[in-house]
Amino acid sequence: MEMLIYYIKLSCRNFARNSLFFTLMITTLAVGVGVLLANLSILKSMASDPIPEKSDRVFNVSLNTWPNKNTLHEQPLPILRYQDAMHLLKSDIPTHSLVHYASSVYARDSESNSLSRFSASVRATTQGFFPLTDAPFAYGTAWQQPNALELVIGDILNQKLFGGGNSVGKNVEIDGKLFLVVGVLKPWKLKPKFYHASNGRAFNLTDDIFAPLEVALDSEWGIGAQQSSTVRISSSSDTRNKNSYYLQAFVQLDNAQQKASFQNYLDSYSQSLKDAGQHPLDINNKLYDVNAWLKKNNVVDDRMLAFGLATVLFLAVCIFNASSLLIARYHGAKFETGLRRAVGASRKDLFYQGVVESLLIGISCALLASVLSWIFLQLSISFFPHLEDIAEIDNELLLLGVVISVSTVFFSALYPLIRSCTTSLSAEIK
Amino acid sequence: MLKMNNISRIFRSETIQTHALRNFDLNVSAGEFVAVTGPSGSGKSTFLNVAGLLDGFDEGDYSLDGVSVKGLSDDELSRLRNEKIGFIFQNYNLIPDFSIFDNVDMPLRYRGFNSKERKRRIEHALEQVGLASRHNYLPSQLSGGQQQRVAIARALAGEPKILLADEPTGNLDSLMARQVMELLFSLNQQGSTIIMVTHDSDQARAVNRNVQIIDGQITDHSIYAPMSIPIQQPA
Repeated sequence: MEMLIYYIKLSCRNFARNSLFFTLMITTLAVGVGVLLANLSILKSMASDPIPEKSDRVFNVSLNTWPNKNTLHEQPLPILRYQDAMHLLKSDIPTHSLVHYASSVYARDSESNSLSRFSASVRATTQGFFPLTDAPFAYGTAWQQPNALELVIGDILNQKLFGGGNSVGKNVEIDGKLFLVVGVLKPWKLKPKFYHASNGRAFNLTDDIFAPLEVALDSEWGIGAQQSSTVRISSSSDTRNKNSYYLQAFVQLDNAQQKASFQNYLDSYSQSLKDAGQHPLDINNKLYDVNAWLKKNNVVDDRMLAFGLATVLFLAVCIFNASSLLIARYHGAKFETGLRRAVGASRKDLFYQGVVESLLIGISCALLASVLSWIFLQLSISFFPHLEDIAEIDNELLLLGVVISVSTVFFSALYPLIRSCTTSLSAEIK
Repeated sequence: MLKMNNISRIFRSETIQTHALRNFDLNVSAGEFVAVTGPSGSGKSTFLNVAGLLDGFDEGDYSLDGVSVKGLSDDELSRLRNEKIGFIFQNYNLIPDFSIFDNVDMPLRYRGFNSKERKRRIEHALEQVGLASRHNYLPSQLSGGQQQRVAIARALAGEPKILLADEPTGNLDSLMARQVMELLFSLNQQGSTIIMVTHDSDQARAVNRNVQIIDGQITDHSIYAPMSIPIQQPA
């Protein structure tokens, strides 16, 4: 312990003695680590599992029910017609099922004196949405009737409309209609937002309003996502009996048997349509679990992966630079090294002293790298604005930053240190 | 105390090999003060490096205070150096931004003494060299002679069996050189064994034994009666 304190004291003296050198070295490595951390934070957000406790049991449903022979639609479609979606919901095989589409409205507190309305993103969905996504309720519950003029609102909108708190029982006015708030969610970030990972929406915030699907259609809330139709559609409610594909569906299947049964259910449905002459394509229905679904939608941006590789190479360059600096530094410290050896320090003693010094440099580097990584992250977000809401450097990444900093400093110092410890003693002192 | 039998040290390059020491035999008993002289390139420094375990040797046997050093590991050699040898260098080799106290403390740190014991030894060593009151000074605040005395204190603090001095007065004016030599004589009279490499024939004659090295071999071995130090006072 006493030697450890001595080594720390010596390291501090070395820092003070060679402050310019150490500043240069720490900055060199901190820039490398900071850029890497910023990039990792984005990649981590992109590649993380949004619902790890059940991501292998939640499946996107992609069906192939396109009504004519269009080669573009030979692959199963991730968007479904209303009647297909309703057929899925009828099945009692899944533990939970949901269908949804995205919309947007302007909402205000019906009791407010102000007539200002807040723009709000809407998820028109079914009651199964909440247990399937594990949406966290702060107050209340989901609606109980599919046609009830009831809403669940997110935390941000709750803050905007009602100033937060328990807003269950209050009314929201949308397009002149009053909707009763029956549930309020806690702050909820899905990284990525798996239930709407297509169309570049994977990194949007979770929605402000969750409304019953039937109510949203009846209210003619517009379809704000991918939609393919074979006929002209005049309104949202007009989609119910037409070949208009826009609804996304997810199911929770807790075991292989359930999954096989549901796959069979889907295939039988497609076959029945085919038999009735309602679609000419081969039966091709798919169930993608959450991670497969995210992968299929290329949620991890290839540009970010390329940038990630570049940052690793950049860090390698920083390590080589730091290593060169350290070789020069140990060369300059030959006299002291030789003297210490002469008065009885073993190679091991000097190596340990070097390791302690590396650790201290590593910790300093980690502190600077944390600050720099935040700055680089803000810069990166300016290039990828859609990541603004989710890219953050969490504790896990900060810890990783410390480990990377200490390791890179150690590896930068290793070769110079070994060289320094093995130099012939007699040549160094006179 | 120090026994070298048939020691050879050969430096090899791609084209040439140089016998820095050849068939070198030397016995030094406890309490002796031995001066090693010889022209430049004769092998004096190589002898001192081998004797001080700073360098190895190719042939022969060397034992220090009864311990044969052949085949010892780096750890064992370092421990031996730390416990049994005190070095006094021509250039003093003090760390410029360490205080006198911290410079003397350095070898004791590697010995594993606790702080109380280190403090006792440092104070005693600085007292021996007459610098007890200056332990907080930096080397640059001392004269050359005082710096060399600090280096001697550093060598003494570990209470070594033998002091190896490499031209300890080489960088000093005659007055300071005399003071340092007086200190070394005094230490020898208190029982320290000293081997001193020197170019100064007067200094060599002042000690009780003189070994002359030429071409890596001992060519003259003179034993004198102890005498006073014949160093002239500056005019």
